[in-house]
Amino acid sequence: MRPLLVRLVEDYWGILLLLFAWQAWVVVNSFNPIVMPTPTAVLGDLVSHPGVYLGNVGITLSIAVFGLVAGMLVGTGLAVAAWFSPIASGLLNPLTVLFSSVPVVALIPVIARLLGYDTSTVLAIVVIITFFPSFVFASSGLRQPPPGAEDLFRVLGASRLDLLRRLALPAAMPNLAIAFKLAAAHAILAAMVAEFLMGTTGLGYLFAKTKSDFQTEQAFGASLVATVISASAFLAAGWVEKKVRERYS
Amino acid sequence: MKQTLLGALGIALFLALWEVVGRTQILGISWPPLSDVLAELTDERRRPLFLRALGATLESTALGYLWGTGAGLILATVAHLLPALRRGSDRLAAVLNSVPSIALGPIFLVLLTRESTPAAVSSIHVFFIVFVSVSSGLQRATPAHRDLFAVLGADRIKRFGRLELPAALPSLVSGLRLAWPAALIGAIIGEWFGAPRGIGILIINAMQNFQIVLLWCAVLLAVGASLFFYGLLTLLERAAYARFG
Repeated sequence: MRPLLVRLVEDYWGILLLLFAWQAWVVVNSFNPIVMPTPTAVLGDLVSHPGVYLGNVGITLSIAVFGLVAGMLVGTGLAVAAWFSPIASGLLNPLTVLFSSVPVVALIPVIARLLGYDTSTVLAIVVIITFFPSFVFASSGLRQPPPGAEDLFRVLGASRLDLLRRLALPAAMPNLAIAFKLAAAHAILAAMVAEFLMGTTGLGYLFAKTKSDFQTEQAFGASLVATVISASAFLAAGWVEKKVRERYS
Repeated sequence: MKQTLLGALGIALFLALWEVVGRTQILGISWPPLSDVLAELTDERRRPLFLRALGATLESTALGYLWGTGAGLILATVAHLLPALRRGSDRLAAVLNSVPSIALGPIFLVLLTRESTPAAVSSIHVFFIVFVSVSSGLQRATPAHRDLFAVLGADRIKRFGRLELPAALPSLVSGLRLAWPAALIGAIIGEWFGAPRGIGILIINAMQNFQIVLLWCAVLLAVGASLFFYGLLTLLERAAYARFG
């Protein structure tokens, strides 16, 4: 076991360096806190006004989690449907490849116009953003069972449903885990951008409101909270991906 | 062949559906028919506006793409050659990628100028994707290859330049392909923080003034810019896999 301090420096030297550079930059230039607060001031605001953050974190986090789960279910479900029907997959595949390379943020204003400026629209945007990676990765995973396995299943008289349940879906698990990792970090950030643009509720709204009220410390506090949640989601999803890969391949 | 036909049919059906939904106004006035959007997009009088916006956004995106690729390559290489730094640099990259883009805007606004903020936000998106793909690519060389290089007396630098770097190329090119749409998103968000022109500005203005057709035009421009270069990079990726994969 490495000593705690060594471990801390080894794992977090980059982040510590970044925070130190931020603090030094603000102090050296003696910026007005309205323009650019120091990280210690932002932390101070977080500690002294936890109530402001907690409510908004709850809203944004639940939208992100709910949207992530719904988007992955819809994406995997459609991928399975496309797996059953070659015609459906032929029709859908190029479209989803097209859509997955579309800058979704550019679509937020259009979706907001269509669905109205409220919280359910934020949820819809998160669902759409997580849908594409899960559909693309699940589709390609379902089609990559270990070589020869499909023939073996056929010979043993497995039905199409057995084939899906016992071969294709397990074979698609590592790919789904990658999609989960990609989507997990983005879900909360996408929710925040949507809230920022539409001015509804949540962390993005808190950011927009405090920014225009010149409460810059709180705006950065909101961003800091979002960063920590999103980074933890990414690292946790990476751990899940590793476990899934060990289990299914 | 059959797949291509089905795919083309799928896209045609989608476009037809778009037109029908727009004509019949099932989804209200916010969904204009495709033909109206295309007419506006090709309108002579609008052309200077569109070209200026597209030019500005593409310039920021390209700059951010270059900066991000450079930074990602450098950090991944350093972390690869100095393993003690690896865990820390992974975490730094993950955290940078987790900073909300809307928070990067105000930071770069102070750090840089209004004009270069879009490129800077875009470069952070690109940096992460390139860093991750290069880091994993550099580990693709097999132990057998490493042993061979050791037996033949290659030093660390030679092994890196002749074995690990070429082995990482396909992975890098895949990263470059995925990074383009992300770069474009970064540039568009960066433009919301006071850039003089660009597609992001066009989108925000059209949204706030309820110019629905113009809003769709701006979105189509962004989509077109994304797909065109994404397609080019996909071709490059195929060539890289054919040669180094």
